Amino acid sequence: MFIGTEKLTYTYMSGTPFAATALNEVSFSLGKGEITLIIGPSGSGKSTLIQHLNGLLKPSSGRVYFKGQAIGSDKGELLRLRRRIGLVFQIPEEHFFSETIYDEIAFAPRNLGLAESEVRIRVKDALEKVGLRAEQLQYRHPFQLSAGQKRLVAVASVLSMNPEVLILDEPTAGLDPSHRRNLFALLDNLNRSGGLTVIISTHHLDDVVALAHSVFVLQGGRMVLAGPPSEIFTTREKLYDLGLSLPSVTEIMHSVKEKGLPVKTNIYTLAGARQEINRLKGRPGR
Amino acid sequence: MNPLIEVIDLTYSYQAGSDDEFRALKGVFLQVWPGEMLAITGQNGSGKSTLARHFNGLLTPQSGSVLVEGLSIADKKNTAAIRKLVGMVFQNPDNQLVSSIVEEDIAFGPENLGLPPAEIRKRVDWALDTLNLQHLRKVSPSGLSEGQKQLVAIAGVLAMKPKCIILDEPTAHLDPRGKREVLENIMRLNREEGITIILLTHFMNEVVHCDQMVVMEQGEIKLRGTPYAVFRQKEIILELGLDLPIAAQLATGLRQKGFKIPEDIIHTEELVDCLCQLK
Ligand SMILES: Nc1ncnc2c1ncn2[C@@H]1O[C@H](COP(=O)(O)OP(=O)(O)OP(=O)(O)O)[C@@H](O)[C@H]1O
Ligand SMILES: Nc1ncnc2c1ncn2[C@@H]1O[C@H](COP(=O)(O)OP(=O)(O)O)[C@@H](O)[C@H]1O
Ligand SMILES: [Mg+2]
Ligand SMILES: [Mg+2]
Repeated sequence: MFIGTEKLTYTYMSGTPFAATALNEVSFSLGKGEITLIIGPSGSGKSTLIQHLNGLLKPSSGRVYFKGQAIGSDKGELLRLRRRIGLVFQIPEEHFFSETIYDEIAFAPRNLGLAESEVRIRVKDALEKVGLRAEQLQYRHPFQLSAGQKRLVAVASVLSMNPEVLILDEPTAGLDPSHRRNLFALLDNLNRSGGLTVIISTHHLDDVVALAHSVFVLQGGRMVLAGPPSEIFTTREKLYDLGLSLPSVTEIMHSVKEKGLPVKTNIYTLAGARQEINRLKGRPGR
Repeated sequence: MNPLIEVIDLTYSYQAGSDDEFRALKGVFLQVWPGEMLAITGQNGSGKSTLARHFNGLLTPQSGSVLVEGLSIADKKNTAAIRKLVGMVFQNPDNQLVSSIVEEDIAFGPENLGLPPAEIRKRVDWALDTLNLQHLRKVSPSGLSEGQKQLVAIAGVLAMKPKCIILDEPTAHLDPRGKREVLENIMRLNREEGITIILLTHFMNEVVHCDQMVVMEQGEIKLRGTPYAVFRQKEIILELGLDLPIAAQLATGLRQKGFKIPEDIIHTEELVDCLCQLK
């Protein structure tokens, strides 16, 4: 097991009248180099689960594993862990702590003891990777940015530490289509070339579902479905009941089928949909 | 007919006058007509929020002007009147709710207008009815889903009886059900209550439900028209960092494969119908 949990249970404000169990015996196991999506309605426990994976929250019961070892509570060990498992928070501006964007992104490389000349290169590189121009905004305060730019800076500040695992909590909220595509292309690239393990919680499946090896579905703190996209998105009614949706292309294929054209519905990319329509309606040679 | 909001040659710089001055709006012209549902879209940092913050006086023009029903936003005497005409809803539902009970939260705006209690109660009722929130009136917003919280925030603005509501990415943080509920309610406020809607969004499947759309780039308005007219300009849309709606993307791909698919497909239903009719 590269990263995973065993019967992970977590209760907020445990022991008070406000106690709320956010995770209930969640178990999973992921291999190195996998890309995993976590979906689920708001309040289902996605953020709570994610914050256990780099040791920010401590299980009420159960365990979290990284590279076969249970994550303990030793401070030094946890700090080292957080350098290897990078987390981009759901509301990034709540976690900015530096006076400039440069310092925010430089934090991790400086911690690694790199020379400032090297740090500068890392900062510029991280900003460019997410689609921002260093010279335009690196000396601004992190709050002096548009909504989407704040999120991109948060991603850059985690990229700059070269993590082995990258966890992103609803990373596309507020991103425009081109920056969204760019982010997913970047993750795909880091995954293919460097074996980066990626875990993404998201409500927005288009563009990313094609990269995913597996999908976890959470509801009320429990893992109610898990499997490859091709399995998860064939069970449409179940997802609808949870208030979730399918990838847009899959949604279209289901509607077409309902109207009487016998298309396959386990299709979630545009290319797949084109092929399927062609299979049914195309003429040879076209 | 006069425009509800008129923007004339508006410019705005952050840190104006300093070394790191940044020109966020570079001469924007725009007319928003009463009763329309207008989408404003464009890449991150293109100036959407900066522009929208001028519509109800959160920002004042550095040059050029913004008129709301003919009232200049630059004139402080007009601020109160303009705040009544134009309400604003933001991205994050959690930061917008002020009270621990839904109906009190919705009453907050009308109370600030100094209305008599009977009128406040009437407006709160109306806002709750209009958005189908009556069953939640006594509960605490903290226990609601994100989508419900956003509807409460919209109800709070609605209770001010504005002519126009600006929503800055109101669905960005919501799950699919929350997104759908908020979008449907916004559309209903527009169609049934005649409220002018300005919707800032990155979702093309929301844009297609608007009457008109504007695309911004680097502080300027690059395109304006109906979604049909704008999405016809495929290359420009991509250059401006946007996407075609998913139905238009699939339609385009099939057309390139030689299928006879008509132009002007932007809604899923339009595509589904024409796929089922393919010979
Ligand atoms: N306080 C600030 N100081 C300096 N520059 C700023 C500030 N706020 C925004 N900007 C800049 O102004 C430009 C426009 O920002 P704005 O927030 O209007 O963009 P937007 O179109 O709403 O973007 P998004 O889609 O990311 O919300 C951006 O380039 C941004 O970096
Ligand atoms: N800091 C907190 N204190 C108390 N309860 C919380 C806190 N954070 C989350 N919760 C509760 O835990 C549950 C799961 O929340 P969360 O992990 O944020 O879900 P998601 O990320 O899927 O929206 C929800 O019922 C939520 O109200
Ligand atoms: Mg969350
Ligand atoms: Mg904005």
